Amino acid sequence: MTLLLPTQPAGGADVAALRTATSLVVLAQSTYSSLAALPVGGGERALPVVRDLVTAAVSQLGDARDALSSATTGAGGRAQTDPDPAYGSVVAQALPTVRTPADVVGLALTLEDVLAQTLVADAAGLSTPALRATALRYGQAAASRKASLLVVNSLLSSGRADLVVAPPDLTTLPAAVGTVGFPDTRFPTAKASPPEEGSG
Amino acid sequence: MSTTGRPSRRLVLGAGAAGLLGVGALAACSDAPPPAPAATPSAAATPTTSTAPRPAYVGDQRGVALCAALSALAASLYSGAVLAANDGRLGQVPAVVTSFLSGAGAQHTEHAAAWNALLTAAGRPAVTGSPLSVETERRATLGRAAAPTDLLSFAVDVEASVGATVLARAGEFTDPGAAALAATVGPVAAMHGATVAFLLGRPAGIAPGPAGAALGLDALTT
Repeated sequence: MTLLLPTQPAGGADVAALRTATSLVVLAQSTYSSLAALPVGGGERALPVVRDLVTAAVSQLGDARDALSSATTGAGGRAQTDPDPAYGSVVAQALPTVRTPADVVGLALTLEDVLAQTLVADAAGLSTPALRATALRYGQAAASRKASLLVVNSLLSSGRADLVVAPPDLTTLPAAVGTVGFPDTRFPTAKASPPEEGSG
Repeated sequence: MSTTGRPSRRLVLGAGAAGLLGVGALAACSDAPPPAPAATPSAAATPTTSTAPRPAYVGDQRGVALCAALSALAASLYSGAVLAANDGRLGQVPAVVTSFLSGAGAQHTEHAAAWNALLTAAGRPAVTGSPLSVETERRATLGRAAAPTDLLSFAVDVEASVGATVLARAGEFTDPGAAALAATVGPVAAMHGATVAFLLGRPAGIAPGPAGAALGLDALTT
């Protein structure tokens, strides 16, 4: 039996999905920049590992933004420059409450998770292999950042900020740290933002 | 169900082994005889049958088979790494290292099964073992590990190669099931890679070596 799936969205659907993904990238990048300006994100009270992750993310997300914008115009649309409205309000509420490195990691983790899930969904649903590969490239990057944040989050949440160092003392790291960064065998998409969310 | 015409994300991603890999690809490698060539006097006088072996995989199937083989190789290499960690020749291997190798290896095993399920659903044989041109070299590299961190450095290239290979194939897949599987498997390899990078003290990422490059379709030896 053949399961027929409608897998070829029109160009307009591609544009909407790409604009939404871009809006999440825009939001994530601006949020990381805001976090970097905080004492616990990029200042004197920041853990060096967390500070490095924040700094690297700003740069990587700039690349993602450029690529997704180019893909959007290539698909016949106008590049998105506004942040995702749904998660924008989440960030607006959370940023003033950031006090600790764990807060930094927690907020970043929220955004990276939805960004990665959205790009993974796009990597399956966009209409051409080239667009799907673009989404997957940056979905993998977001997933990678998510994994790093999960590892750090696990140590911070268990009161072991002393182990969030580079290089770590492997003999003192809990065994669970070896797997906490990849909880799912197949990357989930249940939290993927709908294509229209940030396309306006 | 959506009425917008855009595919449901969950529907597409749920295609899995029930994807369309078999439809076009099976047509390309059907057991049905090829169309008869235009008759010539000599051909008509001397009936022949084709003796060319049917290729095991064609079209997207070949990319899927490559990913299956590479996932299986990664799982096998990590299994070997755990054995090496436990036999004492690398000294005391921290539990976090063996935990990573076992956990990531288990996921690679499941990925190989998922890739193979696409093939078998299309009526093609599953990939057996890891028929790749790089297998011998990769096993030799693992055999040269002399310290726990060597296992982690080795894993950097393993994960980079898996991620890059899946990404490269994703840029070619036209089959929805293959595209959906690539979309959900590639990021997991990236997460493995990020974990290794943290363990090696480079949480923002490590540039892989040449062995971390994407494998081309010509690396598949079956």
